[in-house]
Amino acid sequence: MWRTAESPRITVADFFDAGRRSLQLDWEVNAAHAVGREISEVALNRPGLALAGFRRYFAHRRIQVMGLAEMTYLGSLPVPERIARLRALGHVPAIVLSRGRHMPAFVRAAAADARVPVMRSHLVTGLFMNAATVLLQNLSSPRIRVPGTLVEINGVGVLLEGEPGIGKSEIALALIKRGHSLVADDTTILTRDSTGCIQGSAVEITREHMEIRGLGIIHVPSLFGISAMRNERRLDLIIRMQKAPAGEDDIDRTGLDTATRSVLDVPVPLITVPVAAGRDLTNVVEVAALNQRLKQMGHNAARELDDKLKATLARKD
Amino acid sequence: MDSAASHSAAAGTVTRDVVVLNRYGIHARPAALLVKAASRFAGEILIEKNGVKVNAKSIMGLLTLEGNHGAKLRIHASGPDAAEALAALADLFARKFFED
Repeated sequence: MWRTAESPRITVADFFDAGRRSLQLDWEVNAAHAVGREISEVALNRPGLALAGFRRYFAHRRIQVMGLAEMTYLGSLPVPERIARLRALGHVPAIVLSRGRHMPAFVRAAAADARVPVMRSHLVTGLFMNAATVLLQNLSSPRIRVPGTLVEINGVGVLLEGEPGIGKSEIALALIKRGHSLVADDTTILTRDSTGCIQGSAVEITREHMEIRGLGIIHVPSLFGISAMRNERRLDLIIRMQKAPAGEDDIDRTGLDTATRSVLDVPVPLITVPVAAGRDLTNVVEVAALNQRLKQMGHNAARELDDKLKATLARKD
Repeated sequence: MDSAASHSAAAGTVTRDVVVLNRYGIHARPAALLVKAASRFAGEILIEKNGVKVNAKSIMGLLTLEGNHGAKLRIHASGPDAAEALAALADLFARKFFED
């Protein structure tokens, strides 16, 4: 049912924006050329060999990281040679100077001519390589945008889904009032991170906002404080809200059968809850989240009761 | 811009391509107009931009679409009143959501 997969195309500007704080980035030159400039191979490369003249194999589609080794090597060359070697790197997506180093002015002028975006990171090279690799992996992880409201209930990430108007946002609001937090209202972005977990977050433009019928659009942290919001949360449980059918035939009454839905090839537990007038769904959702946590800790109440029943019945046999 | 509605045999879904003509694009007010119009119809109505589909009955969904001026969108409608739904929504786009 969720068909709209987005295969992210990562640009140098995306990388800079995402890493500005964590990688302590700022621009050295050519920031304007970063917009729309694709990183076609989502990884890092140290261009030492290429700078030394070996270009038969050079990972030119990757972001190039110039650490102390590269800078010291370039510094050992005569000035025209330095510029020539840098130019010979060709059309790389971007260059990062680690340790917060600046380029010498004449090198910067050459880079400006070549239109290659150059940024600085204040981290040492090793730390930068580690942190930037994780960041790039997260940016390029598979993602889908799904209809549904994501909340965090006592440390459990719950996606509420159901037709527009069924009451997802109202339940999220009631949960916020009880001290739980909102991740995304109505539309949630799910990504599979490098550890294989599904992470949910809001679409940037509508983050922190909800629409409540009759009230319109509200800003959650202004009304309820910053603790009512979370930027990201792992998805532990999907609750599908369904208008109660006459027979309720497909509703699980025991909790013995654990349904799952495949999200980006990861199975996620799925509960279907019938919506009927007068039913306090907030309570049901809250308890479902707690019950899910119990299951994750290894306790399955339905199965334990059923085992006890079976044992008792066997004795009476 | 009102390209002919096309039928996809598979799911009984009809689609129509539209262009955002009003200057400010799909901001809160146009989104509310679309939701109001879409909610009059029984079937599912989705609006697509660059492969991302959102439910036309959801304001927040429509806002995440970031339908700027000039954006090319596709409306997908299904259900018994799909053709009327397409016409009603396309009409709002054509009238620039009563703006400009």
